[in-house]
Amino acid sequence: MNEPCQGEFRIGSESDIVMARKVVRNAATALGFGLTDVTRIVTAASELTRNIYHYAGSGVMRWRSLSRDVRVGLELIFEDSGPGIPDVTKAMETGFSTGKGLGMGLPGTKRLMDEMTVQSQVGKGTTVKVRKWLRK
Amino acid sequence: MASENISVLRLRNLLLVTVPPDPDDQTVSALQEQVLAAMARHECGGLVLDISTVETLDSFFARTIAETAQMVQLMGGRTVLAGMRASVAVTATQLGLTMGKALTALDVDRALDLLSAAPSGDNI
Repeated sequence: MNEPCQGEFRIGSESDIVMARKVVRNAATALGFGLTDVTRIVTAASELTRNIYHYAGSGVMRWRSLSRDVRVGLELIFEDSGPGIPDVTKAMETGFSTGKGLGMGLPGTKRLMDEMTVQSQVGKGTTVKVRKWLRK
Repeated sequence: MASENISVLRLRNLLLVTVPPDPDDQTVSALQEQVLAAMARHECGGLVLDISTVETLDSFFARTIAETAQMVQLMGGRTVLAGMRASVAVTATQLGLTMGKALTALDVDRALDLLSAAPSGDNI
């Protein structure tokens, strides 16, 4: 558990949503997360991977293990060069949607994780970073 | 990538579908089409979706299930989601997912009881 582990996964097709789930499930399980937390993390990854596929077409997911003092965690970064989000604050509100989704993707994902940051620039792309810490 | 095979089983006047553990979007969409076609073909009164092996239920999956339940209801039937795992229930609730008109049961056995207890077509 002390050796840092990390990886990168390219998102470019619909079937990559399932593959991303598998990659994240393996990483979270290897770090020692329990079943419910693994399910939370995998579901969050599924939402964010689908966002990239639907809105940007392609992108990349990077994951790495975190270690702070005695705490262990998992960080996932989703990056794309898509159209970007014009109003990130608004996109984080439950019920706000541009049409393709239910309007619960980002706020719902935030509830599943411990930390979440969204950086976006219209025309440049979006980076979403989420973290989950292992409960001792 | 080809979608996974789904078998839609007919049990008396009900349909039973076992959802694979980690279905992709295509498989989930195919499931909806197959269920509706089977509903029309067999004049079924209800649908049981066995999700006891499902490990990840995200917003796309939930929306498709809710839509399917709505469509089945318009065709005069009812839908029961059977066997949701505890970890999936926790995650779905925190994510904010709702299953629309679908009823729920702890397992397939109870789902069959539920559908045979009340006449089909009721808006429960």
